[in-house]
Amino acid sequence: MESMSRISSMLEAARDLTLEAARDASAARKTSTRVLPTAQLKKLLDSRSERDVLEGLRRVVTMQYRQPPSQTLPFFTHVIKNVASTSLPVKKLVYIYLLQHAEHEPDTALLSINTIQKSLTDQNPQLRALALRVMSGIRVPVISQIVSLGIKRGAGDMSPYVRRAAALAIPKCYALDPTTEPQLLDYLSTLLGDKQYFVTGAAVAAFLDICPNRLDLIHPHYRGLIRKLVDMDEWGQLATLRLMMGYARKCFPRRTKKIKKAVNSNPNSKTAKSAKGFYDSDSESGPEHEQDLEEVTLLDPDLELLLNACRQLLQSRNSAVVIAVARTYLYLGTPDFLSSAVGPLISLLRSDLDVQHVALYNIVQVCLLHPNLFVPYYSHFLVKSTDAPQIWQLKLELQTLIFPHSPPRLQSLVLAELSHFSHSGSLDPALVRESVRAIGRCAQSSVTSPKTSARCLRLLLAHIGSADAHLVAESLEVIRHLIQRDPDNHQTTVVRLAKHLDAATSPQARASIIWLVGEFAGLDPQNNIAADVLRILAKGFTDEAEPAKLQIVLLAAKVYIHHLNANPPPEQPKQAEEKPASLLADYQDEGGFRDPHLEHPDELELQKPAEKPHAIEALYQYILLLTRYDTSYDLRDRARVYKALLATPSSTQLASLLLLAPKPVPHTPSPSETRKGYVLGSASLVIGDEGGVGGLRGYEDVPPWVKEGQEPDPRLREEAPSSNPYEGGARATSAADKLDAAASTSKAVVMGTSPTRSLDGLGVGGASGVAKKEKTLDDWLAEEEEDEETDEESEAETEEETDEESEEEETDSEDDDETGRLVK
Amino acid sequence: MSAIEALYMFDEHNNPLLEHTYAGRPPPGSTLLPLYLSHPSPRPSLIYLPNTNPPTLLYSIIQDQLLFLSPSSKDTEPLEVLEFLHRVADALEDFLGAPLLASKIEGHYHVVAQLLSEMVDRGVVSCTEPNALRDVVEAPSFMKNLLGGVGLPSSTPSSLAPTPTPFSLSSRASPRLGPSLNPTSNTSPVPWRRANVRHTSNELYVDIVETLSVTLAPSGLPLAALANGTIAFTAKVSGIPDLTLQLSCPGGIANAVELPVFHPSVRLARWKERPGDLSFVPPDGRFVLMGYEVDLLGPTALDAFSTASDKQAPRLSVPATVMVRPSLGPSGTDFEVLLKLNPRFAGGKAAVSPLPSATGSSFPGRGGSGGLGRGLGAGFGRGEGTTAAPSIEEMGVHVPLPALVKNVTDLRASRGDVTYAPGERGIEWRLTHKEVNMLMAGDRGGGVGVTATLRGTVVGQDEEGDESLEPASTGLTSTFDYDDGSTSSYQAPAQASEKKDESGGADARRVKQNKTLMPSCATVSFSVKGWLPSGVKVDSLGVDAKRSKGLGAGVQPYKGVKYLCVSRRGVESRC
Repeated sequence: MESMSRISSMLEAARDLTLEAARDASAARKTSTRVLPTAQLKKLLDSRSERDVLEGLRRVVTMQYRQPPSQTLPFFTHVIKNVASTSLPVKKLVYIYLLQHAEHEPDTALLSINTIQKSLTDQNPQLRALALRVMSGIRVPVISQIVSLGIKRGAGDMSPYVRRAAALAIPKCYALDPTTEPQLLDYLSTLLGDKQYFVTGAAVAAFLDICPNRLDLIHPHYRGLIRKLVDMDEWGQLATLRLMMGYARKCFPRRTKKIKKAVNSNPNSKTAKSAKGFYDSDSESGPEHEQDLEEVTLLDPDLELLLNACRQLLQSRNSAVVIAVARTYLYLGTPDFLSSAVGPLISLLRSDLDVQHVALYNIVQVCLLHPNLFVPYYSHFLVKSTDAPQIWQLKLELQTLIFPHSPPRLQSLVLAELSHFSHSGSLDPALVRESVRAIGRCAQSSVTSPKTSARCLRLLLAHIGSADAHLVAESLEVIRHLIQRDPDNHQTTVVRLAKHLDAATSPQARASIIWLVGEFAGLDPQNNIAADVLRILAKGFTDEAEPAKLQIVLLAAKVYIHHLNANPPPEQPKQAEEKPASLLADYQDEGGFRDPHLEHPDELELQKPAEKPHAIEALYQYILLLTRYDTSYDLRDRARVYKALLATPSSTQLASLLLLAPKPVPHTPSPSETRKGYVLGSASLVIGDEGGVGGLRGYEDVPPWVKEGQEPDPRLREEAPSSNPYEGGARATSAADKLDAAASTSKAVVMGTSPTRSLDGLGVGGASGVAKKEKTLDDWLAEEEEDEETDEESEAETEEETDEESEEEETDSEDDDETGRLVK
Repeated sequence: MSAIEALYMFDEHNNPLLEHTYAGRPPPGSTLLPLYLSHPSPRPSLIYLPNTNPPTLLYSIIQDQLLFLSPSSKDTEPLEVLEFLHRVADALEDFLGAPLLASKIEGHYHVVAQLLSEMVDRGVVSCTEPNALRDVVEAPSFMKNLLGGVGLPSSTPSSLAPTPTPFSLSSRASPRLGPSLNPTSNTSPVPWRRANVRHTSNELYVDIVETLSVTLAPSGLPLAALANGTIAFTAKVSGIPDLTLQLSCPGGIANAVELPVFHPSVRLARWKERPGDLSFVPPDGRFVLMGYEVDLLGPTALDAFSTASDKQAPRLSVPATVMVRPSLGPSGTDFEVLLKLNPRFAGGKAAVSPLPSATGSSFPGRGGSGGLGRGLGAGFGRGEGTTAAPSIEEMGVHVPLPALVKNVTDLRASRGDVTYAPGERGIEWRLTHKEVNMLMAGDRGGGVGVTATLRGTVVGQDEEGDESLEPASTGLTSTFDYDDGSTSSYQAPAQASEKKDESGGADARRVKQNKTLMPSCATVSFSVKGWLPSGVKVDSLGVDAKRSKGLGAGVQPYKGVKYLCVSRRGVESRC
């Protein structure tokens, strides 16, 4: 959605004028905020009058934004004194000052802690929240315990506003003093279960900040979080979707069902496959079955809950949320879900330019995997003359990506579009280059029909005569790639290109053509034009530019070596005559290649073979002779190399290796192919490999799917039918204790890696402890003895936990090995 | 997860305006700005700076000529940061008044400081809703006067009696107080609406803006025509109103409006059930209610593209189009730009009258509806746009030029002003409202519309460059004579010209060479008031009396609707 400011700028015609005026006035503006002398400012701050203090604080805050901290630091004590003020505006400004400066004067800052702490019990919830925020924001490690207590208090506060402040304070406290973690996790798990959506949003953000791997804290709140997802604010939604990404991958194994029909080509199931192959070798689905069977993903009901909840977010005005949903669907969902996200992704292109740019990267990323979904939206990918380079680059790529999947009419539209930009778009040489390359990509796609391919080639060939050197060079480059991919079908193309030598004026273009002719010199010895082209080029050799000359010399060498290979000199020179003769005969009807001069020596040769060198040899020697007196060092050097290589006509092995080495088929992938590995929505995707291989700092890949059987028990997600939704301290804390214990093991279960944590049995009990109230007390009594031997800590725990633990042991048969290890 | 590490703002001359650090120790703005500026323009919104310590991702937006920068040392979600920057701009504008000016920020640092510290808590974006921010930050006084004294009621909070607290967040969201305060909203409390809104005059305005983006092929056929619509809503109503806005459109909203995006206040279920119905509790003040797009060509556009061109396939009504005719004149250096105006947008009397309120409104104001000029009266629909007589406001044509062009001479326009300075990358051709009207007046009602023309001659790099190229090319052609096949594209024009005299051949070559100097497209900018390309219109806007609260009995707010169609270089014709 477009931002309000942008819309209002359209609605208000006078706005531009105002901006102009402001611009003009801004030169004179500088004096508007005059800085008072220090003494006067201090006097203001020390004043008894609230108004004066406020004025003084405003000036200090202004200074703080305009000048380095050294300028505002002298006022520290004067400002801090006012922290006890009863006026809210004064308090707020003091807090702002304090947050920015406390680090520089930790000792003086401590003086204010007491007053702030008092505010934590103020009647006004806003003030309580503010105090909590400021207290946790003062970066003085000594107070970590006080902060922790403050958070505890805040987490049980009646006002959700304070509870949210408490949630946001948790990571700050953790950063101050990591040893407070156990307490903080207690508070956090309380807050994660909060009824208020904007408290949970902040709690999720805090969770991601301090302990993103403690998924055991999430299990009991999973369904609650998903229910609240729609009502959270955008930032909470973002955090929750980010959390669910990892959670779902680690907790819902990818189950697939095989069916015969080929309806589903989901890359997600492929990822699942590979993940499976990686993790367990004894999986029943051997790779050999997978050829003829198609896999359909079976969604866990809880996962489906998430995916369905996301649907409503697709209409969000926040582009980041839309991308996050698309990411969820791409990595967790099925193609059906993903296709519903395509439209909203496209709608991001309506937003401001900056958002549009990032959104396009994400669209390309999805399009690389599912191009067919984007075909209906082709009209959004047409390049406009106002598009910035980074925008049209991505748009062109999108056009080429959907090209193979488009109906014929759209294909011709895309081609017309590309050719428009390739020849008339001399606006920007880069645009010309990119669109020519795009045509090449269209042509080389495996799905493209030969007819369309030929059309692409025709488009490119038409460019060769252009006066625009960029265009010609780029076209030839692409043509060369196309020909190299399929040499057998393009012999006539090479002939056509050779004809275009007349038209091509740019040295690069000529060089390209000559190289191609040389490459094809040996393809069909009976019917090759290389020698003839060389002959014609030899005439104008001196007029050529250096790049072309280099290629002519190379061509000469190639033609010569083909000649030598075809008829090794010592054995019999008879064969040699055949080749050029037939060649000429073949081209007679085409005209233009026939040359009486050349025919003549041939006839001569026929008559007296030994006396005169063969025409090709003569040509070769002639070219070498010419290069010998060329001004270019490079050219002379190369000529010398070829000369040495081909010095002895009888041994051409080395020369063949050098000159006739098979060239690798060039593969021109879509430019964004290099970014394919990056997660949708990440900054690494936009930056690409520039940020270092493997992404930028802090980049996280999507975790692999959990192996079937290693996921946490789904019953953990069952919610306790809590009788009192607004429970505060005591009960919540006890639940948190249980969770705390549960944490370590469920982690062990989930990750399969926690060698440090070897508390026997505790794991099992912990993991199950969360799904409380499933068991009756009788169950617990029945299993009590067993518990005692396995879990020494269970006595300290509440009853719900212990019965769960036993329950897990009976039922979790799939966890056998794991359990066994832990129990032992 | 500290997404936002700092926020830097710079004014239009790139002087630092403010620096606010949220988390960590990001490189200061003075380090980042030169690195940002060293990127060639147009600068991408996300730049990676590997040479700073630590390597930094730099996000940037430009709003009202002010530059917002936000560095990040870790991989974050780029759109999250960019959206946040936009929200900051919106919030600042909301508090300080639009447009956002450097001087306003400098004058209200204390407000800005409070806002910025409320919006982000140690890097985590916490609250960006302008209405919610208003509950915790006091707007500067001139705004307070403007809004009739709303804002924080007290400056001594500690002694304040905990009556139904003025802090909506607390009172609303607290589970016990919530229901009692908010019995109306069935789903959720209203986090986007300020508490205790009170207005003396209750007003509701709907502004629908559609941005046209049309691409015309050289043949004149439209390749793509999209209208991006945005509904901006201004609610100045007391209490907690529950509104219903009904949109309609020829052919049905569901068929026309695609890919809608909504403000969180809109009840999605209602829209899904009955497309066109927007039911919502608005925030106080101005906000974007909805965004949508309309494909003006319809789904069958593709079929029309390749079939016979004589069948005027998609009927597209655009106020103005442009046509470029390149390579005119003996040496092919001239070009002509034809601006074609659609006579439908002649504007009628309303457009000629200088009263801005009248021109600005598609509803010429019902007699008794308060004289605001935008009263939403009995004639709700404007009936095929004839009653309103939409008129074209200022019009501009932009002709981008290739980089090779050094100068354009002999620029002559039949109307309007042309601005071009040698070396520039484009020609601007502007027609004022008055000139458009005069042009329109010249229309004889033939239905073909009126045209204005612009002619010019391009001058390429330098003349001697041309000369030096020429012998080379001719030399080559004369030397290489092994092929005279007429299939080659180059030979064809040459042969044609051979039938003429020698100079003709030279001209053809020159025309071909000058082709690279020709403009390849032209774009039109304009704005039309009172008309929307999609035909979307507001059918009704109602206040649900039963579900609303605090509006007062019998209060009927003023309602106003405004339609605006804008093209910012959006109509593009290729050649």
